[in-house]
Amino acid sequence: MAAPRKRTLTRKPKDGVQTAPLEPPKPFAALDLGASAVRLVIAEGLGENMRVVEEASRGVLIGKDTFTAGRVGQPTVEAVLHALEGFRSIMDTFGVVRYRAVATSALREATNRDTVLDRIRVRTGIDVEVIDGSEENRLTYLAVRESLKSLPQMSTETCLVAEVGGGSADLSTLHAGEPAHSGTYAIGSIRLRQSFAAFQGTPSHFRKLILRHIKNVVDDIRRELPLKDVTQFIALGADARLVGRVISGSEVTTPTSIPRESFLKTCEDIAALDVDTILTTHGVSQAEAETLAPALLVYSELVRATSAAIITVSNATLRHGLIFDLSRSEAGLGIEVFSRQVMASAHAVGEKYNYDAKHARHIASLALRLFDELKSEHGLDARDRLLLEVAALLHDIGLFVNLRAHHKHSQYLISVSEIFGMSRDDLLVVSNIARYHRRGLPQRSHIPYMSLDREAKIVVNKLGAILRLANALDADHQQKVRSVRVRPEDGVIAFEVEGVGDLTMERLALLARSDFFQDAFGRRVIFREVSRGES
Amino acid sequence: MSPKPKSRRRAQDPEIFFNRELSWLSFNSRVLEEVEDTATPLAERAKFVAIVTNNLDEFFMVRVASLKNAIAEGDTAPDSAGLSPLQQLAVVKETAALQLRRLHEISERDIRPGLEGIGLRILDFNELETPLRAGVVRFFKDEVLPVLTPLGIDASRPFPMLPSLSINLAVLFDPETDSGPDPGKPESGPRLGVVPVPAALPRLVRVPGADSTYVRLETVVLSQLGTLFPGQAVRDVAAFRVLRDAELDIDDEGGGDSFLSQVEDEVRGRRRSQVVRLDIDARVSEPLLSQLVSRFPGAEPLIYRITGPLDLRLFFQILGLPALDASRDPRQRAQSTLLPTESADLMAVLSGRDILLHHPYESFDTVIEFVKQAAADPQVLAIKQTLYRPAADSEVVKALVAAAEAGKQVTVVVELTARFDEASNIRWARRLEDAGAHVIYGIRGLKTHAKATLVVRREPQGIRRYVHLSTGNYNEKTSKIYTDIGLLSSDEVLGRDLSAFFNAITGFSDPPAMQRLTMAPMALRIRILSMIDRERRRAEEGQPGLIRGKMNALVDEDIIRALYEASKAGVKIRLNVRGICCLRPGLKGVSENIEVVSIVDRYLEHSRIYHFWNGGDQEHYIASADWMPRNLDRRIELMTRITSKDAVERLNGILDALFEDNQKTRVLDADGTYRRRRPSKGEDPFRVQTRLYDDSKSRADRLRAVPLSLEPIKRDAKA
Repeated sequence: MAAPRKRTLTRKPKDGVQTAPLEPPKPFAALDLGASAVRLVIAEGLGENMRVVEEASRGVLIGKDTFTAGRVGQPTVEAVLHALEGFRSIMDTFGVVRYRAVATSALREATNRDTVLDRIRVRTGIDVEVIDGSEENRLTYLAVRESLKSLPQMSTETCLVAEVGGGSADLSTLHAGEPAHSGTYAIGSIRLRQSFAAFQGTPSHFRKLILRHIKNVVDDIRRELPLKDVTQFIALGADARLVGRVISGSEVTTPTSIPRESFLKTCEDIAALDVDTILTTHGVSQAEAETLAPALLVYSELVRATSAAIITVSNATLRHGLIFDLSRSEAGLGIEVFSRQVMASAHAVGEKYNYDAKHARHIASLALRLFDELKSEHGLDARDRLLLEVAALLHDIGLFVNLRAHHKHSQYLISVSEIFGMSRDDLLVVSNIARYHRRGLPQRSHIPYMSLDREAKIVVNKLGAILRLANALDADHQQKVRSVRVRPEDGVIAFEVEGVGDLTMERLALLARSDFFQDAFGRRVIFREVSRGES
Repeated sequence: MSPKPKSRRRAQDPEIFFNRELSWLSFNSRVLEEVEDTATPLAERAKFVAIVTNNLDEFFMVRVASLKNAIAEGDTAPDSAGLSPLQQLAVVKETAALQLRRLHEISERDIRPGLEGIGLRILDFNELETPLRAGVVRFFKDEVLPVLTPLGIDASRPFPMLPSLSINLAVLFDPETDSGPDPGKPESGPRLGVVPVPAALPRLVRVPGADSTYVRLETVVLSQLGTLFPGQAVRDVAAFRVLRDAELDIDDEGGGDSFLSQVEDEVRGRRRSQVVRLDIDARVSEPLLSQLVSRFPGAEPLIYRITGPLDLRLFFQILGLPALDASRDPRQRAQSTLLPTESADLMAVLSGRDILLHHPYESFDTVIEFVKQAAADPQVLAIKQTLYRPAADSEVVKALVAAAEAGKQVTVVVELTARFDEASNIRWARRLEDAGAHVIYGIRGLKTHAKATLVVRREPQGIRRYVHLSTGNYNEKTSKIYTDIGLLSSDEVLGRDLSAFFNAITGFSDPPAMQRLTMAPMALRIRILSMIDRERRRAEEGQPGLIRGKMNALVDEDIIRALYEASKAGVKIRLNVRGICCLRPGLKGVSENIEVVSIVDRYLEHSRIYHFWNGGDQEHYIASADWMPRNLDRRIELMTRITSKDAVERLNGILDALFEDNQKTRVLDADGTYRRRRPSKGEDPFRVQTRLYDDSKSRADRLRAVPLSLEPIKRDAKA
């Protein structure tokens, strides 16, 4: 991370010296509409200098409605509106204008979500954005990284970051501190509670039933995530923090490490209590007490599936990730700051499908080279560059399914993958770019392409064209091309390619596949082979 | 956040608890001692007479009323001191009678003659020299007669609803001459009449033509009965006054916590009119008294025959007269705590240090200035404040109005039950709302008793919060007569905590975890109990333990029991409890390490200070809450940890001094009596309120001396 930037601001102006008035930092806010609470964080200062100014939360059980009835009921909507009106007033206290409000599964899955979002906007002036699981994971990762900076084992071992929310459990694995796999699974505590709400048996029966369900889901997770390799378990969420508090005797305000057996035992002990006992002995709200047991059962089953000897309970939360993210974007920094983490995660997806890493990396670097060379032609930004890089890396993973039409398989696999930092929309763009690395150009009959909005289509066109050419430059998968420069000339763009050995195949491929490029950039492509130092 | 009326029926333990009503009466008796103390200047004695009268009135209207209600409901359960409501009432009745006698005696024996000695006469109309009477009679005819409404009383009409605290004349007519609408029949005895003395007129009538001579209004009316009832012979007449069930938690330190909260609303409504106490001229005849009493609905009131004038709050009316100037306590001017140059920019001062204010020795102006500067400061974004009984025409309110008009976010949490029907209260709340302030009338069922102001300011380095937290109300008037501690600070943690507090009480957020503040009713009781318990554990491990507390009242059973446990473990506990104290100190094997003292002096001791040794890692607090169930369970209160070195040292010094007093301190014995502490042999007299004033004065003098000599290095000193 960058060094603190604003040191000079804290110095006192010298006597008598007229200094220009300093613009105070503008505070910004993050709002999070979760399954069991609506929360607010206000911060100011950019990047490393960020300071949290204010936090507030109101318990509202959005999830209880959604996971039972599929929609958010009227009283709950009112409670949300009331909470947000209050938050609006708090934001006004600090003169907050810029904010980002996100909603997770409880609203995401509600059939009336658009109505709810509209009512929120009309009543409170707050635009709430529904985010998907991978964006949730990305934001949470930001907070986790911040909170675990002090733990060196994070950077060497395989970690599982687990948060059991109301709607779902969000899991991601970190290799050497970088996110690799991630996934969102429908075993949230409120959802579990509500799914089995109709059950009429004894509490211990009830627990067994839930537990069996959890075990089934954990078995599925095992197939997708290398749980056995996990040696560090990082537990997030209020329920995990309660376990931390019970064991350590104080509120979890910094990451707290707990031996595996002690964590499991405490989870089981608490999960065995009835709701009333939880209420009186643990000082939680009724809502928290009701969902505590299911949540702890999920945590303990997950822990059991890993090889972790230590469970670290972290105080990181989605909203803190959100506010870090905002602070960064206020500083003009976007997702590209996390390109390393994004690419690590993309590689993990590639590995899952046995990709040709050498070829993939080579294509990615060629594509990026072209992207940078063509900067003045395409006018795209660093974020688009990252999309291209991911697409280039994964463009061939469809080979895992079949050689025939593998570009279409690539498209599908990418579109359903979890890649750190990539939203569903991002992945749609990436998968389309990958699809057009070979064969047919976009057509009306291509539904995934047609479902993109106009701007996204243009991005796909430009980046797809670049990827197509980059791929042509490694037509025989030998990585012969060492360097490429692009020279815009009268009506044409000259590709000056420097390589080793015979580049005939590459020349033919480039020219043959320049159709897409000509459409997207309106220029013809010419191939020019140069020898080292000539350009 | 709704309060649960708890029926705290505990195991009675008369060995270790004092009854709270008797403890309160004993406090009142200590105030009476100040009246009886001939060393007390005359004007102060007169003031104390009025205060004691007022305190006793409120005590009857709230506490005695609830005892009577409990009895009427058949409640026989004893309190923790082992007394049933009936037993309590019996002792209360007798003790109060004794105190009323003392009060009226001292008033007739010392105060009135004393006032006459300096030329100020408060007379019965009959005592007035004949030549002066004509002027008073003229006043009666012009001003009083038009507003008088004599009432005839008979079996067919209900007894009139005489307002609580009002003075009236009860008249018994001679049946021979009675020409009223329903002349008393021989079998029902003579007819009764009541003349309410107009409460809208001043109680003391200035006698025209005689400077500094006053007659009591009721004696004037009495002398003119002939005018009121022409042609009717009055057989007997007596002035009386009724006190009714106030049914409200009188929002001062003595009332509240009543059985009332458990009584159904409907039942309460019926009882509203109940007369709790009747004060009547001791010269009243038996027939008149029994006629009168028989007309009151409900249970018979407690009857007190008063020798001399009724309702001695009458001295309030003359306290301000210049004639009394020579008979007052020497004036103590509240001192400034700031360098003369600092008052210009309080925020700048506060960014460098905390300011601990000790009122009334130190000026409340600093607090007003703080709000005013915040209101006028363009960088200030928001001001949030709790207001509980501000003074009429409050400077604080004016500043808040100005801030709201300037477009700042102003949030004021107003206590609804603080006698909100007063026209002035409604007026300033309206003014705030009109100016665009967000006025919140507290949380249902929980009185907002915390005293806090939060200022949010945008500075080049970012948001900065300034806070004021206090043990006393934002009231310029009481800040001159109550001792209170306030803290002004820009500490980040405190600012964040207070911000969270306001979010919680305005309903914007669920109650948060806080670091330097503790809030009632959510956390305060648990926090105090755990700190007491921490001392106990350390003491059991063989470490020294110390708890010091200064408060207005100590009633809470849980806390008292925890203190006993700590005492048993060897923790030294020093308590400075001005009023009610249900803890029994000095009991062998229970509380022998506990010492309880009470200070009653010219200023009402009102600050709450708590100090825990904590194994040497000492913790000091100021709070708006006493250790009473009503503070801990049914009010929004704040306790503030004081952390900055200077403020802690200062607070500790104040606590030290409060325990060192040997002039106005009484020590509570295990048997419940309060003994005056005298200087021991060779010890100098130490009167803490004088000492603290002198200290604040010399500190202010030092500050005033500073700028001349230290001006050149002022900036460094501030940084």
